[in-house]
Parts: sequence; structure tokens; C-alpha cells
Amino acid sequence: MMEELAKIPWAVIAPLIVVQLVLMIVALIDLRRIHTTNGPKILWVLIILFANLLGPILYFIIGRKQS
Amino acid sequence: MTIVLEVKGLTKQFADKVVVHPLEFTLKSNTSTALIGPNGAGKTTTLSMLTGLLKPTAGAIQIAKGDIGFLPQYPQFYPWLSALEFTEMAAKLSGLPTKTAKLEAQKTLEFVGLGDVLHKKIATFSGGMKQRLGISQAIVHKPKLLLLDEPVSALDPIGRREVMNVLKDLQQETTILYSTHILNDAEEMTDQLLFLRDGQLVEQGTLSEVRQRFDEPNYIVEFYSAKEAQLFASHFIGEVRGCSVYITIQDERPNMNELFECLNNNSFQVRKVERQTASLEEIFMKVVDRA
Amino acid sequence: MRGLPILLQKEFREAWRSWKFLWIPLVFAILGMSDPLTNYYMMDILHAVGNLPEGFDIQLPEFVPADLLQASIGQFQMIGLLVLLASFIGSISKERANGTATLLYVRSISFSAYFISKFLVISAIGFVSAVAGFAASVYYTTVLYGNFEIGTLLACFVTYFIWLLLVIAVILMMSATFNTMIAATGAFIVIFIGQFLTILWDFLPWSLPSNGVLLIRDMMYMQDYWWSMFMTVMFTIISIAIGIVMMKKNTSMVKI
Repeated sequence: MMEELAKIPWAVIAPLIVVQLVLMIVALIDLRRIHTTNGPKILWVLIILFANLLGPILYFIIGRKQS
Repeated sequence: MTIVLEVKGLTKQFADKVVVHPLEFTLKSNTSTALIGPNGAGKTTTLSMLTGLLKPTAGAIQIAKGDIGFLPQYPQFYPWLSALEFTEMAAKLSGLPTKTAKLEAQKTLEFVGLGDVLHKKIATFSGGMKQRLGISQAIVHKPKLLLLDEPVSALDPIGRREVMNVLKDLQQETTILYSTHILNDAEEMTDQLLFLRDGQLVEQGTLSEVRQRFDEPNYIVEFYSAKEAQLFASHFIGEVRGCSVYITIQDERPNMNELFECLNNNSFQVRKVERQTASLEEIFMKVVDRA
Repeated sequence: MRGLPILLQKEFREAWRSWKFLWIPLVFAILGMSDPLTNYYMMDILHAVGNLPEGFDIQLPEFVPADLLQASIGQFQMIGLLVLLASFIGSISKERANGTATLLYVRSISFSAYFISKFLVISAIGFVSAVAGFAASVYYTTVLYGNFEIGTLLACFVTYFIWLLLVIAVILMMSATFNTMIAATGAFIVIFIGQFLTILWDFLPWSLPSNGVLLIRDMMYMQDYWWSMFMTVMFTIISIAIGIVMMKKNTSMVKI
């Protein structure tokens, strides 16, 4: 297993992981600040954390409630 | 007094339903006018046409130049702006120069009682705060004509009191037309009444004019006991209700000698004598029922 | 155009405070990274997922840098445009439907200024997103496959951004004309279904993104390129004009 992990070229995929993390964190920060969401907040936490790229996108498009 | 708004033959028809029948009225400067009517009478439709947001089917609206101020019944704001940012934007969009807009916005917000929350996001505002913000955006550019749709109906008694006070202060410097179905408000702050029913203007005039028209020629003589009232009724034609006797005198300005002589000669102890005046609510019910 | 700076400020504040200047470019960046990465590691991924029969070996085609940029643009064209569509299709129609537009429309604002302010701010987001997406794709392609020629790469980028301007103009025009649901359907048809026309012709606006890549490959028939560019700019201007007219015409759709 460790051998497998070592084989992954971390230097190459690090930027991708960082960008994904930033997107996720931005979504979570906004979720914390925002007054109300469409649907329960805890559901959005799970979607943002576990639906990969799609989670934050879905949150920003349909989760945020304006007005 | 100059005329600020003149409406002639204003009509609105949706599909084949006439919502507002030809309306005619004028508003003079620095007066307040209450547009009264039950729900669905066409109050909001009329106001929407006056703002220019809704095109009339027919008729003419003439407004003295200058932007109007408008407060919808349920004003909606951008929750991501602060109260000051929104009011300042409203002021600028109504033509206030950039330099003065911010100052005016600040003054107006303080005037409506939002001085402490200038920089708070509107998202956090309560209903009463939003209503006051709605008023501030309507008056920040000092419009000649202020149109308010049910300005206090959605508020609790305290909020209503506060907003009414704000409006009363405004009365001196601007012309106000507001719709309401809460008659106490109209009674408190109005120079002119417009009664709307089924889209038709069924009654209009000053409060005292309308009152006179609906006044009943009834006088109430109240005694200290029911017995005395009954005794009086045996001398004078009237209807006994408890300690009071209701007397009908048809003349507009009746000579009361007969009544007072009767009271005097028999040494009645009178608590009070008054002319019965119709409350706005009673007038309203009569106007609505008068089909 | 009275009030343009004020309305620009308002639109900018909205986009900034709802994180649109950040999250949409990040999505484009991820989209740009994904194709060069997955293609490069395709064999490793297949082996890792496992269960390949003994001695099984697929011959992956040899890619040149332009192939990967083209694949990334394909991602922008699908997911990227869907994100733009979903984020901005309500720009005008939702403001009317929820009543926030009422307090603006009741003032004598210029509808041209209001429409243009929305167009400019969304275009700025589109620009940052395109930069992020291209930068991510080009970075990984350069690291893993090889270099681009800077001149044609820039031309390809500018070409793609001009296509995005048309997409944004169409989205706003639909939003000005219809309610949000119909607008979304209409914009989807125009932007996505229209792409099938590129099978037949190369000089339509929908061909512009692939024409940009053909510039890098040095395989573009320039007359078709300029036609597609000209038509895109024309369609953009027409969409903006129709949008402004319809926005004004639909004033009475505001909730009061």
C-alpha cells in the first residue's frame, strides 16, 4: 500500500487537490455565513464534503438562497 | 395649492375582467390621501399604474415633475447589501449627486430609526426594519409624490405606531397617497379619502365631508339611570337603550330648544348630550354594503 | 446610460459577495486540469482499477498539446457553460419574479445601463474563468506533454472568450425576455443544440471554440474563421439589443 502511495506523483496532482480544497472551503465558509439555504444546512455540508467537484457547484447554484 | 397628481379616466382591464373602472381624482401638494377599500378592490393595481410599473388600459396620469417615491406592500431588497448601501444606491439612481447621496441616505435612515444598523446586511433585518428601510428608499430623494401601498398593515402595534409617526412628520413636506384597510390609520392621517370598491371610486372627499354625508341625525341623551331615561322617554319621543335615549332630529342644524326645555322643566339630571358621529369603520361598512 | 457606474457597482457587489468571482473560475480551473491529467495517467488508472486480463495492453494514441487543450475546451463547453447558464439565467427574470427589481424599475433608470452593467460584470467573471481554465489546462499540458506556441495560444484564448461573450449575451437576452424556466430552456437550446450545426458548417458562431484550436494546429481556413468571428460579434450585439428592448417591455412582469 505504502509503495502504491509513493508511486503517485504528488508534485503533479497537488495543484488539483489544492484547488478542489479551496473550492470546498469557500463553499463551507459561505454556508456558515449565509442566513438560510434551500434545504437543511447539514445536508449541504455533506454534499459539499462528499460529492467531490459537484458538491460545491450544486451548493452555489441551488443551495444558496438569496432574498 | 398646486396640483401634484391628476388622474383622468384611469382604467385597468386584465383579459376580460375590469379591475379598475375609470378613476378621476386629483392630489394637491402637501396633503395626504388615504385610498381605502376591502381586499381586491383594486388599490394595489391603482398604485402600480401611478408608479408607471403597470400600463393602464386607458386614461391619463399627470404627475408634477420629479421622481416619485414608492413603497410596495411587501418591499423586497438585495439581502447582500447593507441598509446604507441600498439607500445610497436608491438615492443615486433617483438622480442625487454622488457627493450628497451618501449623506442624505444616512440622514434618512436615521430619520426612520435605522441609524444604529446602517452597515448591517439587509439579510439580517426583521419585517419592521425592512418596512422602515422601504420608507427610507422611497423618501431619500425627497420626491414630490409619495405612494405607499399598505405601509403599516404588516406591522405589529409598536412598529405601526413608529411608522405612522414617521409618516406624520413627512406630511408637512410632501404629498402622500397611501392605501390601507386599517381605518384607524386613515382617520389619524388624512386630508382626503378615496373609497374604492370593486375597482370603482364610490366615495371621496375630506374626512369631515364624508362624515357629514354619512352622519345620522341622531342625538344621544345619557342619564345616570335607566329609570330616568325611561321617564324622559315618556315626555319626549325617542328610543331607550340602557341609560340613554336616542332622538332623531332631521334638520341639519336643529334648534335644540325643545329638547333642552323638556330637560329643564322636568329637572332631569343629564350626564351628556351628544350628536352621534359615524366612525370611519361604520362609514366603510355602509359604503361597502351599499351595492 | 445614466446610472451605469452605480448599477455596475451593484452588480459587482452581488457577484463578489456571492463568491461568483471565485468559485466559477475555480470550477473552470478544475475542468482545465482534468483532461491532461487523466489522459496522461490513463494507463496507470486502468492498471490501478485493475482486473485487466493478463497481457492486455491498449495502445493510447499519441497526443499533441493541441489535443489536450481541445479536450479541456470540450469540458468548458459542456460543464462550464452549464455552470454559467445555471448561475446567470435568473439575472433579470428572478429579480422581476421576487420583486427586488421593483424598487429599481420605479425610478427612471436606463434599461440599457442596467442590462449592460449585468453583461459587463458577468463577462468579467467569464474572463477570469476562461483565464483560469486555460491556464490550468496549458500548465498541465506543458508539464506532461509539451509546449504551445504563445501567439496562436493567445489567439485561441481570445477566440474562446469572444464565444463566451455571445453565450453571456444570449443568457441575459433570454432572462430579459422570459421567466426563468422558459429562459433556461431557450438559452440551453440556442447554446447547446446549436452546436450540432457545426457538423455541417465551420463559419457559424458555434464553431468558434473549435476554430480557435484549429488556429493552434495551423489548420484553419482563415476565411471561415473570420466569418465565424464576425457572426459571433453580430449575434452578440443583436442579443444585447433585443435583451434591452425586452427588459424594458417586460417592466410590468415585476412582482409588486
